[in-house]
Amino acid sequence: MTEATIRSGKILTAGFAALALSGCITSRIEDAREGITGIESGESIVILAKSYHLGNETEGKYISCIEDALSRGSNGLRVIPHKQFVDSLFPWFEPRTAPAETKGLPKLMERPGVAERIAEQNVRYIVWLDGDTDRVAGGGSLSCAAGPGGGGCFGFAWWQNDADYNAAVWDLNGLQSAGSVTADVSGTSFLPALVIPIPLIARARAAACKGLAEQLRNFIVDEPEV
Amino acid sequence: MFMAGCGSNVTLDPVTIPAPLINPMPLSVAVRIPAEFEHYVHEDEVLGREKWRIDLGRSNAALFSQLFEFMFDDVTIIGPDDDPSALSIDALIEPSIDAFEFSVPSQSRTESYAVWIRYRLKIYDNAGDMYANWPLSAYGKSEEFGLTGDEPLKRAAILAMRDAAALMIMNLDKSTAISTLKDRPAATLASGAKEGVASATAQEEEVAQEKIARLPKRRQVTLPPPGPVAGPAVLSMDPDEDASRENFPEGSSND
Repeated sequence: MTEATIRSGKILTAGFAALALSGCITSRIEDAREGITGIESGESIVILAKSYHLGNETEGKYISCIEDALSRGSNGLRVIPHKQFVDSLFPWFEPRTAPAETKGLPKLMERPGVAERIAEQNVRYIVWLDGDTDRVAGGGSLSCAAGPGGGGCFGFAWWQNDADYNAAVWDLNGLQSAGSVTADVSGTSFLPALVIPIPLIARARAAACKGLAEQLRNFIVDEPEV
Repeated sequence: MFMAGCGSNVTLDPVTIPAPLINPMPLSVAVRIPAEFEHYVHEDEVLGREKWRIDLGRSNAALFSQLFEFMFDDVTIIGPDDDPSALSIDALIEPSIDAFEFSVPSQSRTESYAVWIRYRLKIYDNAGDMYANWPLSAYGKSEEFGLTGDEPLKRAAILAMRDAAALMIMNLDKSTAISTLKDRPAATLASGAKEGVASATAQEEEVAQEKIARLPKRRQVTLPPPGPVAGPAVLSMDPDEDASRENFPEGSSND
């Protein structure tokens, strides 16, 4: 057996172990296109969360996850960090002042310095994230005890997390909406315990991040089939 | 941070905001920072267990000083005991805090920390009379993600202050009409200004009397001979009609 075969065997074993130790995930990723997209080299995108003044609760870690996933790899997009973008355009992308619809963009661009700052950073698309991950169900019972001779747990618990996110894509070239991508992921985690608890965790938020980022990249880079 | 029965002390460092993309108002203002605004401390007990002491310190004074320097052409920061009457200014602004509230995850059962601050801006004209009194509510929310200890609460407070800054940039003039204080005659000039108004009124009356004296003569000259074609054209030249048309507010037509 060559070294490469042994290494790939180890990777496969680790993969099966990871699969065996994870919960159950179902996901649905969709996009709705409103216009032709595409991105030139040098053009960049910004990922922002919709305002919490509007009741949105998108987690900071989800925004960072999408930013990382889109910028990673050889075909990664140029992503401007959201804090840098918001600071550079203060106060026009604050939770209170950010435009809620594309029809607010022409007026925004007329404000002193706004169009220039956007052009300096060569921002082509703004992606507005909306949604969050919630625990929607759970059950079972698990009890643990410890004594002088040792300890252990016994029982079974489970819970279900739903990660629903929407990414609205605004094209700053035409100051119009390019469409949206949605991710609807449901993950059920299990925790059986017979002396030692064995967590089988379904990472719904991580799956929603990976799925949405992949679809978003295709949405922005690819032109629609004719 | 959350030790049951223990207290939490949070002290904010002075806040900085990015330079806003705005054109400053051509006003000369003084900003008077009251002592309680510069050293604002909020103490609270969450769910009867956790005692919190939040010291905003100089953060508010620093934020408002920076903000007004961006918003106005000329800004002078004065202390609570300084006399603004010696300054040549269009307006005096005095900020204060009416209320401060916050929530932590143990209360809200979310992963978020939130801060609400209700500010009040009192604006005085250059005679020292109160011109506007504007209460404004600001809100900031932060998660624990990437932050440790009391950092999320500090972050929420900073975001609330930033929210207040954005609100003031957007609405200060709309809500207080502070820009109308530009070059407003000072109190010492008020009597002189009144005299000026009185003499102008007398002159206008004289002119009006002259017009009235001239009107019959002019009408006699311009009165048309009876007939359907010439009549209306000559009547529209009536100087009284023109004067009354000038009094219509702009935009009152449907054009």
